[in-house]
Parts: sequence; C-alpha cells; structure tokens
Amino acid sequence: MTSMTVEAVRLTKNYGGRSAVEDVSFTASQGEIVGLLGPNGAGKTTTIRLLTTVLSPSGGEFWIAGHPSTSANEIRRCVGVLPESGGYPAHQTGDEYLRFFARLYGLSRSKARSLAADLLALVGLEKRAGSTISTYSRGMRQRLGIARALVNDPVVVFLDEPTLGLDPAGQAQVLDIIRTIAKSRAATVVLSTHLLPEVEKVCSKVVILNHGRVAVAGSVGEVISTALIEQSAHLRVPLDLVERARNVLAGFPNLTVDQLAEQPDVLTLAVDGAGTGGGSSDVMNAALAAITAANIPVLRFELEGARLSDAFFKMTSRAVA
Amino acid sequence: MTLQVATPEVGTPQDSRAAEGRSGWLVVAEQESRDLWTSGRGLILLFLFSILLSAVTYLTSTNQALNFLEQRESVNLVLQLAVAVGVLVTLVVSADGISGERERGTLESLLVTPVSRRSIIAGKLIAALTMWFATFLITIPYVWVLARGVGILGQALALGFFVGTLVAVGLGSIGLLISGLCNSNKTSIAASLFLLLILFAPTQLPSGLPQGWFFDVLRRANPVDSALAYVSSMLVNGHSWTQDLSYLITPLLTAIIAGGALVVAGPRLLRLMPGVSAG
Repeated sequence: MTSMTVEAVRLTKNYGGRSAVEDVSFTASQGEIVGLLGPNGAGKTTTIRLLTTVLSPSGGEFWIAGHPSTSANEIRRCVGVLPESGGYPAHQTGDEYLRFFARLYGLSRSKARSLAADLLALVGLEKRAGSTISTYSRGMRQRLGIARALVNDPVVVFLDEPTLGLDPAGQAQVLDIIRTIAKSRAATVVLSTHLLPEVEKVCSKVVILNHGRVAVAGSVGEVISTALIEQSAHLRVPLDLVERARNVLAGFPNLTVDQLAEQPDVLTLAVDGAGTGGGSSDVMNAALAAITAANIPVLRFELEGARLSDAFFKMTSRAVA
Repeated sequence: MTLQVATPEVGTPQDSRAAEGRSGWLVVAEQESRDLWTSGRGLILLFLFSILLSAVTYLTSTNQALNFLEQRESVNLVLQLAVAVGVLVTLVVSADGISGERERGTLESLLVTPVSRRSIIAGKLIAALTMWFATFLITIPYVWVLARGVGILGQALALGFFVGTLVAVGLGSIGLLISGLCNSNKTSIAASLFLLLILFAPTQLPSGLPQGWFFDVLRRANPVDSALAYVSSMLVNGHSWTQDLSYLITPLLTAIIAGGALVVAGPRLLRLMPGVSAG
C-alpha cells in the first residue's frame, strides 16, 4: 500500500505585491517520482523551498510525511534536498562533506563515516571519496549533492534541476540514481527539470507550473489528454500496399490522409476540425485497427502531439495567451 | 485532514535526535573552523601576523636606537597589536559567515537540516573566534620575551585574553549581524572593515584623543578604544584591575547587546535573500 507523503493545498508565496506561487495544490505518494515542470520563473524553486521549509508560505498549507507545515523541524528531518545551483565547499573532500551533513542529523562520527561511504558508493563516487570537491566535474558534484540529500534516509527527496548543465551521459546517470531512490528506498522524489522526454520516462506524475500557478497536474497520460492537443500521425506501410491503405482510411470521413512526397511509403493522418484529445485518439485508434484488420503490415505508426513536451508547450503558452 | 503517514525507515535515531539539539552548534563550529584553517585562509593571516609581531618585538626589544619604550610599554604595544589584529580577522571572518554562504550557494543546504538557525549562527561565531584565539596563542611567546624581568607576564596574558575575547565576541557578533543583513559579501566585508576603521582610528592618533570630558566620553563609548585604555592603565600605569573597570562597560555592553541581538534576530537573518535564483 502506498501512502501520501506530500500534500500541498493552495500554497501561496508573495514577495511584496508580487506573487511567486499562487494556490499551488498537488499530492505525491510513497515511491512516486513527481515531475515539477514549468518555464523559468514559473515558481518551481519557490515551491520546493516552501515545501522544504526554507521559505514560509504566505498562504495555504502543506503536509510532508504527515507533518504539517508548522512543524518545520520535523519536516526537515524527513526531507532531502538538492537545491538549484547549490554550491559546494571546494576544499572539502566528498567524504568529509557527507560526514558533516550526516553529523548535522545527529549521527555519531563512526555512523557518519560508514553512511558517507555507502552513499558515495550509491552515486558512484567511492573512488573519489578522498578527492577535494574542487576536482569534481559538474556531474560528480550533482551526484554528491544527491548523496547529501539522502543522508537522513528521507521520506521525500526534492531535486531542483539535478541534470542542469550535464552532458547526456551525466543526465542518464543522474536519472538512474533517481529511479533507484524511488524504487529501492521507496522515497517520493519531487523532480524539477527541463528534460521533458526524461520526465516522461521516469515520472509517474507531472505538475506543470506557469506563472506561479498549477497549469495542469496528473499522470503523464492525463496531462497530455488534458492539454487537448490536435493529433496527427505518421503511418508507414509497404510501398505496394499504400494505395490499399489509403482506400481503407477513406472509410473515415473526418480523417485527412496525405502521402509524403519524399517518403511515398509514409501516410500522414490528421483528424479534421475540432477532433482533438480523446476524440482524436478514438479516430486514430479506429484507423489503425482498420489497417491491421485489412492485413496491411504496419511498419511504423508515430503519433504527433502526444508527447509531454507538446502538452507542456501547449499548457504554458495557453496560460501566457 | 487525515493522511497516511510514511515514516523514515532509518532516519535519525531517537537518541541521536536528542543529542542533535545540544551539539548541532558544535558540529557547525567544528566544520567551520576546519574549513577556515585547512583552506589556508586562517594560516595565511596568522603567518602575516606573526611576521608583523616578530618585527615589532625585535625593534622594541633589541634595537637600542629605536627602542625608546619602557618594557611595560612594549608589552602593552604587542598586546594592543594582538587585540587589533585578532579582532580584525575575527570581524572579517564573521562578516563572511552568512553573506558568503549565500553567495557560494551553500546556505540552502544548511537551512534544510534540522539544526536550528541559532545553532548554526553560534557555530559560525565560535569558528570566527578561533581566529582571535589563534592570534592570542601566537602572541604568547612574544609577550613572554618582552615581559621577562618586569614580572607582568601572567597579568599581561590574562588581561589580553580577557579584554581581547570581550571585544572579539562583540565585534564578531556585529560582523555576523552585518553579514546577515547584507545582500552581497563584498558589502558585508566593506561595511565591517569601515566599522573597524572608525573604532580603531582614535587609538592610532599619535598622542591619543585630546583631553577633556567630551573626548573621555568618546573614548569610553568606543568599545575598542576603552578596552585598550583598560589594558594600558593596568600594564603601563600599574593600576589595579578594579581601578578603571568603568573602561570595560562599553566592551561588555557591546558583547551583550550584539550577542543578544544575534540570538534574537539571527534566525531571521539566516535566510535566503528574495529573488535568489527562484525558478
């Protein structure tokens, strides 16, 4: 049974007359990876700072692992945080750095030493434990920061842009660690990032913020369908069966079928008029079913407008308009 | 509202949680001191200080042409130099304490730990004070050399340590308060040095402040000037420790008020500044 570990209700933060976050509500459960998305300045970092008690909310309330926002000290005991653009003491070693934070959580010197070794191994830095942080690459520092966020075996881990500035290999490493945290430690991970394809892969839930408000929240599928994106598709069939496929698809009056000049074996399908979201998907599903029923081999079928990035751009640009 | 609560499986043991509250400041102080000394900052400052002290001691004790000071005055000069430099470096380190962490991006990680804001500030103040204590330690052999034969070694060391610690606590607390208030580390350090300049300027006048009640009040209102005046009155004029105690009122009040302000306002000052990379 999974339990709710994060619940934010109408969370608001004002700076003077400016509202950085307004009426933000969402929930997250144990072992879940929640993607906190939004353009720059959308309020992602402020939301994380509110939930980790670094900032006090101007309005609303939240619970972390059952502790209300008023119990800041209890919340700090059960959250781990990788802040955005967090700095590191350059002259400390990775091992020394983790031992320091472990001791801040009340661990004895010996327990802190053993925990630091375990965490460095978890993030793949055990061979560099004795090197000063100044010699670490950006990716290594981010992994060290994640290790630090785990020193108290947190119930909820907040990672603010953990892949920022990393090369693809570094990003993949960090995402692997995030999966491990959620799976083997059963921790909730709230992940703020701009890597939408990766979010789509690792996150079970997504919260898209725009101008400090929740534009949409839910599973990736729900977010995409909420965005009501007009869908089109690319269908590749054997070249000698293209005409037969066109004839089959002609049975769908609200489906426009075109043939790509440069790729004659690829048909583009578009749902006419307001055929969007669920309705659009139904038409596409029916069209695909008709093709397979006609024994036409489907070499490729690719939906456009069904990705999280499409939903993201749609939701964030709509709010601007 | 009912929530199903997930509790940490390992987390912090109950017994260590109790210890946490007591020793959080100690862990911070230990790490801050280690950072200060192993990063080389503290050692470089002490090395420069010891060169300066060696030169002054050499000139006052061996060079007969330049040495026009009595032995007691030489001890007083070296102690005053130690207090001045010790307080200077303590102030500079404490002025970097909060604003420096903000600029280096290391403050947020500290703020999300369960260690109280007051403990973090206390740890930082103690770490800054290690600069004064180290400065004093370096001074001991020099005072020993100069105080030989006049029988004031113990008195001079006890006096220097007490008065210097009082001034260092006061100005170190002020440095941390300034650091908490300033957006930028440069502003914090510049403001602290400016304050120190104002406080030390009267002590550097060739013949001190002019005589008269107004200047006496001015001297007594200045925690540095009045503390050094107390040292001089005992070491040079041979007064008893109770005779000019009124000189210690300002340094004591400075330490109490600045330290109290740090205890009261510190937790509010130890925060991220609005607009710091909030996405």
